[in-house]
Amino acid sequence: MMRLDHLPNQRPDEHMILFLRRHWFALLSIVTAFILLIGIPLALVMYFKEIVVDWLINPVIGPLFLILASMYVLSIWLFAFLEFTDYYLDTWIITNERIISIEQEGLFNRTASELDLAAVQDTTAEIRGILQTVFTYGQVYVQTAGEKGRFHFKNIDNPERVKELVTRLVEEDKRRLSALGAGGRGKIKSVIK
Amino acid sequence: MFDLPDINLPIAVFLIVYGAYMVFYVLYSLFNIYHLIRYGVYGLGLYLIVSIFVGGTIILVAGSVFPLLEYEWTLPLSLDRVGDFYNEDLFPAL
Repeated sequence: MMRLDHLPNQRPDEHMILFLRRHWFALLSIVTAFILLIGIPLALVMYFKEIVVDWLINPVIGPLFLILASMYVLSIWLFAFLEFTDYYLDTWIITNERIISIEQEGLFNRTASELDLAAVQDTTAEIRGILQTVFTYGQVYVQTAGEKGRFHFKNIDNPERVKELVTRLVEEDKRRLSALGAGGRGKIKSVIK
Repeated sequence: MFDLPDINLPIAVFLIVYGAYMVFYVLYSLFNIYHLIRYGVYGLGLYLIVSIFVGGTIILVAGSVFPLLEYEWTLPLSLDRVGDFYNEDLFPAL
């Protein structure tokens, strides 16, 4: 279990600034799919109620129908839970020193990566389409020097604000590191003396 | 035409299929719950999510199992009479 007050490989002066998940709209699409996949067959059962009752009182068709219906409903429930797990385990953590990206792809693939804020070269926020504009969610891309890929915060809430925050934290971290570097050189010099 | 062999099976064979599916369901659910607990963020929400899933599963399974208990599972399902079930009575309104 991950604790937000004790991040993986946490550094001495590191603290969490922002914890991100995909926008609640992603959750809404799971709920909508669940309601449709349960609601439509349920509506059909209600509409053809007399036929369904005839099936249920049949000693052979009845149990077969009930078993198939049960398997269908349980599958939808499990599918919704799997999708929710995928949503729940996709997280991005921004600290004062690093960005940590944890992405769950299906049930069997998981990618956890991190990058130092000082290595960030470019941050881009992207809002595309009517839904993303109305609900203020979108993508943030964080590009680093010498990296093949780039960090992608998928469908997060308020990407513009996150982009500004990352940019500010990158500047602060670079200043902190250059101050540390100057201090460090000074210390080495003093040791040499 | 040809005659189907006269094989009589109790309708309880449906339960074997249902049981196999339930084994798959339980294994997949446990694996998913393990993932959530292993990699999820510590907090009350995590326990709430797992409880909702387990509770929902119990309700759904109970809602299926109790009506299923009402049926006579020793009733033989004869292969050469399987066509009898597919008759006009099955879809009276269609």
